Amino acid sequence: MFAKKPTGNRLKVQASPPRAAERATPRTRLGFSSWRDQHLYSLFSSLGRLLAKPWATALTALVMGLALALPLLFLILLDNARGLSGGWQDAREITVFLKPDAPVDAARQLAEALRKRSDVAAVKQITPEQGLEEFRQMSGFADALAVLQFNPLPQVLVVTPQELRGSDDPAVLAELRQQPSVDLVQYDAAWRRRLGAILGLSQRSVLVLAGLLAMATLLVVGNTVRMDIQSRAEEIAVMQLIGASPGFVRRPFLYTGIWYGLFSGAFALIVVFGVQWALSHPVNQLLESYDHRFALRGLEPLAALAVPVLSAVLGWLGAMLATARHLAEAHPD
Amino acid sequence: MIRFDQVTKRYASGHEAVHDLSFELAAGEMAFITGHSGAGKSTMLKLIGLIERPTRGHVTVNGQNLHGLRRGRIPELRRGIGMVFQDHRLLMDRSVYDNVALPLIIAGQSREEIARRVRAALDKVGLLERERAEPVTLSTGEQQRVGIARAIVAKPSVLIADEPTGNLDPQLSAEIMQLFADFQQVGTTVLVASHDLPLVKRMGKRVLVLNQGRLLDDWRPGGG
Ligand SMILES: Nc1ncnc2c1ncn2[C@@H]1O[C@H](COP(=O)(O)OP(=O)(O)OP(=O)(O)O)[C@@H](O)[C@H]1O
Ligand SMILES: [Mg+2]
Repeated sequence: MFAKKPTGNRLKVQASPPRAAERATPRTRLGFSSWRDQHLYSLFSSLGRLLAKPWATALTALVMGLALALPLLFLILLDNARGLSGGWQDAREITVFLKPDAPVDAARQLAEALRKRSDVAAVKQITPEQGLEEFRQMSGFADALAVLQFNPLPQVLVVTPQELRGSDDPAVLAELRQQPSVDLVQYDAAWRRRLGAILGLSQRSVLVLAGLLAMATLLVVGNTVRMDIQSRAEEIAVMQLIGASPGFVRRPFLYTGIWYGLFSGAFALIVVFGVQWALSHPVNQLLESYDHRFALRGLEPLAALAVPVLSAVLGWLGAMLATARHLAEAHPD
Repeated sequence: MIRFDQVTKRYASGHEAVHDLSFELAAGEMAFITGHSGAGKSTMLKLIGLIERPTRGHVTVNGQNLHGLRRGRIPELRRGIGMVFQDHRLLMDRSVYDNVALPLIIAGQSREEIARRVRAALDKVGLLERERAEPVTLSTGEQQRVGIARAIVAKPSVLIADEPTGNLDPQLSAEIMQLFADFQQVGTTVLVASHDLPLVKRMGKRVLVLNQGRLLDDWRPGGG
């Protein structure tokens, strides 16, 4: 016996005819709004999933955040060290002290000769009288100078060589040292260069460290996403069974990586600003001894903005690596 | 349209679940597959969705020979087939609504369209008022109906169902089968594996009888 019509009223059994246009057309060109809907869906479903287990998420983000904060703090430290030494580094003057018995003309002639050289930018002559005047103007010296019977200062030339390209000493330096009328040549560039080299090395080291720690965050995200993929193997299988493309299956995991990146970037900023705040008082005390010629340089707004962007990219990359490897494993045949 | 040409499926274990099977289901035709447990019904349906690949022979769906189908094209094939699984395969951490919406989200439908179609599909299986429920809070029969709603929501041109009424009472079973028949009425190719012989008989559709992976009988209504 064949049932003609369903008698039950629990179900409404009239299949509305699938109009040709409504049929699942396999090769769907996604319009912008549905593309956006799909991304919003992945974006918020991955966020919801992360917030559903706040402790695990926070822990991962904290580990990543610390790994990011460390090189940032080093970079700030280095930047300040550079700022402190910058004032000295620029100075490349050679101070030439002539013998006390050298006649005034000797100094002037030497200055003339030096000015003619192409590798000398400027020569400033300081007579003993001018030197004494300078000393007088410095506080505390006036009284001491008053008791002097005569001017003990020699003739001085301040020679500014042309900008140096390499790290060699300027040629004029050796020649000045050989001048018979010259008593002493003072040139501090050597240790300034050494300081510069040390700063350069430190910067390189911090960059290497930053690279290593970035790799560590990559691994942390990658591993977290890998575990996420494993715990959601069944869900992934179902998605694949009902026709989800690999891109669709991967997308929520990539967003998970991006979220981890953003969270950890925000946390790194909190750490950096926290450390800056905690150190600002003692550091400012230290800087006071420099007569306020220097101020503590913190993270600049643009750099602060770049941190979460960079960490989001790192998170995305880590998730990309994990999905490339483990979603392929999850796929049958 | 579904066609099997001398299809044999031997699993890695060496067990031959389907042996030298040939039949054709025209576009818009409806048929049932029956047979003892382990006869190869699920295996047959899996070959259609390329969940398994045949060891020998060819399976053709909607004129497309699945033999040469690249892996990258499988999602596309599956989007055109509505599948009801013997074990439901619902996402347990998502609401009924989200489960049913999934094929439409994958297909990139607009939100309004998704809402409209999901409600229509849930209405058809009598679960409209449970759309916010989590699948775990549903009875097995209700879960099965969620799986059915998910299979029909995208209005696929081919509908395959593996024991869709295994956990339903007789009346609900009849209504679900009628739902499938209604889909056939509007041009969908429907293939349903079922143990429920009396119900299958009552539906008056073509019946393929499997025995140990071989086609034992191909009964057609009116014919013989
Ligand atoms: N993945 C597998 N690996 C090895 N053997 C399998 C696999 N899947 C199924 N089989 C075997 O193939 C045969 C057919 O299985 P299938 O699931 O197709 O049967 P069925 O007709 O659907 O049975 P039931 O009515 O119990 O669902 C069975 O003997 C089963 O043990
Ligand atoms: Mg089965």
